Formats: sequence, structure tokens, C-alpha cells
Amino acid sequence: MDFLNFPTCTRRVQVPKLMLKVRNPQKMLHFFKSLKEEPIEAILFLCAFFSIIILFLMLFFIAKEGSQAFSTFGLDLIIGQRWETNENLFGAFPLIYGSIMVVAGALAIAIPWGVVTAIFIAEVLPFSIRDFIKSLIELLASIPSIIYGFIGVIYLAPQVASLFGISFGTVALTASLILAIMSVPTIIGVSGEIISAVPKEYKEAALALGATKWQTIKSVVIPIAKSGILASVMLGFGRAIGETVAVLMVAGNTAVMPTPPWNFLSPVYPLTAVIAMQMGEAAVGSLEYSALFGLGLILFILTFIVNTLADVIVKREPKIRGGKK
Amino acid sequence: MTTRTKETVLFTALGVPMVTCLLVFLWIVFVLSTGIGTLRWDLLTTSVLQGGIFEMIVGTVYLLLGAAGIAGPIGVLAAIYLVEYAPHGKLTRTIDQAINNLAGVPSIVIGLFGYTFFCRQLGLGISLAAGWLTLTLMMLPIVIRGTEEAIKMVPSAFKEAALALGTTKWKAISSMTVSSAAPGIITSVVLGMARVAGETAAILFTSCVLVTRGLPKSPFEPVMALAYNLFVQIVALGELPEKVFGVALVLFFIVIFFATAAIVLRIYYRRRQPWLR
Repeated sequence: MDFLNFPTCTRRVQVPKLMLKVRNPQKMLHFFKSLKEEPIEAILFLCAFFSIIILFLMLFFIAKEGSQAFSTFGLDLIIGQRWETNENLFGAFPLIYGSIMVVAGALAIAIPWGVVTAIFIAEVLPFSIRDFIKSLIELLASIPSIIYGFIGVIYLAPQVASLFGISFGTVALTASLILAIMSVPTIIGVSGEIISAVPKEYKEAALALGATKWQTIKSVVIPIAKSGILASVMLGFGRAIGETVAVLMVAGNTAVMPTPPWNFLSPVYPLTAVIAMQMGEAAVGSLEYSALFGLGLILFILTFIVNTLADVIVKREPKIRGGKK
Repeated sequence: MTTRTKETVLFTALGVPMVTCLLVFLWIVFVLSTGIGTLRWDLLTTSVLQGGIFEMIVGTVYLLLGAAGIAGPIGVLAAIYLVEYAPHGKLTRTIDQAINNLAGVPSIVIGLFGYTFFCRQLGLGISLAAGWLTLTLMMLPIVIRGTEEAIKMVPSAFKEAALALGTTKWKAISSMTVSSAAPGIITSVVLGMARVAGETAAILFTSCVLVTRGLPKSPFEPVMALAYNLFVQIVALGELPEKVFGVALVLFFIVIFFATAAIVLRIYYRRRQPWLR
């Protein structure tokens, strides 16, 4: 009878964990033994490891294609003032400035908007409609950026133009507005999660001491969730700076510095828009092609740093973790 | 004014941003619905060469299904590893971090990578297959995170019961944990599809052309997609033809369909499965 065959069964249950320490041959042997027992574990591991491989490949190939531009221009690729394709001049400073300006404007709108909404949903809204509202916001988050761009260029840009009396509505302000609408769901989602993770005992303790609901939110919920909210803002920044299609349609796409630099009513040319617009006509292997990959590398590294920081901030949140257990 | 009325006023004021959010959503739906007149049945079913958008819809669906077919299995297996097998250690933390970072890579950078790696290095050219692989990279983090969540919600008693009967670990996980988490896993894949359905930047250089002769006959041919068509029409052509509204609306409906499906599935199965509250 097969199912009474206990010895093999129990032996199989205790599958050793995957150990990857090449320095120790004993453990290496152990690792291969575990694979022999359950080859599926190796497949599972490879699938999980895939993300790391892809990130390295991405860094390598984008850096490889961009290396020509970096070796030709050096630091000028980042701080150079002129981006003129016809003269083979690739200084991305106005582009980087344009990106940061549009994102800064967007976040100035989206952070208060998103964080207050998240607090309202998690703390004030009656439980019965909370899920419904959350689902609606999730739908808002899933609307593709091309649709936002379409609406921006057809409806928002003319309105901005007539409101401020300028001839074209495709300016930094319009891009900021569209971008703000797009990043609000991200900020609501992430900071909402953090706010609902604040232990109930803390809030109840404050309420038991006679604090009103607002006092509880102000002096218990927000201080505890502060770093999580910061992380959500950083994630929102990462999303916003990488946003391409919607921004490209409403930003005006002119590679000059706005005068004065804080003039939100002048067109800008964000990094992502340049890549999307010029990639099609850039000949493979040309300096322009390489410069575009240089821009891609700048974006990749920038978002990588921001995302890693956001992760570190979330993981350094001992209070919430401790409170949950 | 008593404290109580003050708070009521304050909370009402706090609700304004949320209401704005919902108004924006309604505004978008309203703006798009002004173009509903352009949406006729023959527009959907006639070929692009005769002024319809049939191939674009099918192309978008091809891209979606292919990406889901690749990202789904890889993502689910990766999530199983991370929840059930991964030891606590540096490597696991690095993998976790890498998934988060992959989720944060801008889609245009993924598109650039897709072009240089899949199209040129692997020699796939501008093709459906290159688009699948590129979109896979965008879907993967969503599928992994969603699946992880679903697997974590299944009580470990299910798996332990199977182990106690003498099955292997993989058998216990695949037959008990994964099958109990299946609705959640499907939800995460559908959510991933909703996210990439309208993706433009990633397929811009990797798999799309404006007009092809009919549908792609193999994965190595370029494809037409709604998002790409919309992009080119808005960016390249000054005067927007009426048809643009139809394209935008169809794309909107496809995306909202998948997103709503994910939400409804999630709510439905949360109610059905007693261990999920």
C-alpha cells in the first residue's frame, strides 16, 4: 500500500531551504541536493530571480547605448544648456528642469489633495461606502495616460489658454494639472494603506482619554503615519517624473528654459517627452540615438534612487509593525 | 460654536478633496461620452483600410493576452517562491527590493530597453512578440504583489493538513494553497491587464505601426494598437479627425472593463471565502 509508506513521506516533507552561499562547498552540495528532491523549487527561484536579472540587463543595455553620448559630452549631457538636434548639441539641462518643474507643480497640487483624501477615506468616511469610494479611485488610477493626454489636449489646454489669455494652452501649468490628477490615486492608495495600518489600540487610547476625533487624527494618526505618507509622496514623484504620453501632449515641447524660471505659463520639454518624440526619427547608432538613451539612463537612475528611498522609509517604520503584533 | 459642530464643519471641509476626485472621474467620463456619437458598430468591425478600427482592437487584445500569458505564470511562480519557499536572508530582501524597483521604472525606459534588448539584441524586430515581452516587464510586479497577497491570506492550516497526509511540500502548496488562492491570483492578473491595456510608451518603439495589411499572421510581425494609433493621431496630425473619439472611447471601455472585472472579482470572492474575513 502506497500511502502507508511513511519513511519516504516524512523524508520528503522536510525540504531544506534554498541556500546560496558559494563560499561554502558543503552548503553548495546541500543546495543541489535540495534541487534533486524538488526540482520545482529551482524553477520557482528562477522566476523570482528574474526581476533582478531584468533590472541588471536594463541598466547594462541602456548604459551601453548611452555610452557614446556620455563619452562625447561628458557632464555636458546633464548640465548643458542647449538641446538642438540639428546641430548635434545635446545638453539636457532644460529638459531635466522641465521635468522637475512640471512634477513639482503637480505634486504641489497632488500631495495635499491626495493625503487629505486618504485621511478622509480611512478615518471619517462611514464604513459602508468606503469600499465603493476606494473602488472608484482605483478605476481612476487605471485610466491610461493616453486618455488623460487626450482630454488634456482637447479640453484642458484651451481652458488654460483662455483663462490666462495666452495663445497656446500647452504649457507647464497644463502638464502639471494633468499630472496632478494622475498621481493623486497613487498617493491616496499608498498613504491610505499606511493610515489604515495605524493600530486601532492607539486611536482608542486617545479617544478614551477624551480626545475628539480630529484631535486623535492630528496627534495620533498623522504622526505615526508620517513617514509612510512621505514614502507615498516619493512613489508619487517617481510615477510622475516617469509619466510620458500625457505630459508630452500638453507640455508644449520646446527645449528652452522658461523665463523667468518659475514661469508656469511657458512651454517645457520634459525628459520623457523628448525620448518618445525623437526616438522614432533618430538613426540607430547616431549621436542623437545615444543621447536619448543617456536621458533614459538619467531617468532610470533617478527613479531607482527615489523608489529605493521610499522602500527604506516604509521598512524603517517600527511603530506600525510593532503595533500590529 | 461647540467643539462638536466645529468638528463637523472641519470634516465636511476635509471631504472636499475626495469629492473633487470623484468629480474629476465624472468629468472624464462626461468628456469622453461627448464622442459617443462617433461610435458606430461598423466602425468597430470594418478594417482600418476601409476607415474602421477592427485590427486595432484585435491588436490591443493580442498584446494584452500575450503579455498576460507570459507574466502570469512567471509572476505566480515567483510569488509562490517568495511566500512559501524563500528563506529569510539578504537574497530574498534583494529580490523583494528588485520587484519594487521594477514596478517603479518609467514605462518609457522599459520601452527603450525593450527596443534595444528584445527588438535589436534578440532580433525580434518591431513585432508582437517584442511587445509581449516589454509589457510583461510592466505586468510582472503587479502580478507578483497581488499573488503574494492572495497566497498570504490562505490559512496555513490548509497546507499543513495536506503535509500531514504525507504529500510533498510542492504538492501541498499547489493543491491546497494555490488553488484556494486562485481567485485572488486571477484578480491580480486581470488587474495587471488593466494596467497595460492602455500602455503607450512601452509599445511605442517595440511593437506597433500605424497601418498594417490585416492582422499579424505570426508573433514576429508588427501590430496595430488603439493606444498607439491615438498617440500618433494626436501628436502628428494637427486637426483631429472625428474617429479619434471612437478610438479613445473603445480604449477607455477596454481598460475600464478589465479594471472593473478585477474589482468585482475581488469583492465577490472575499464574500465567498470564509477565511478572508
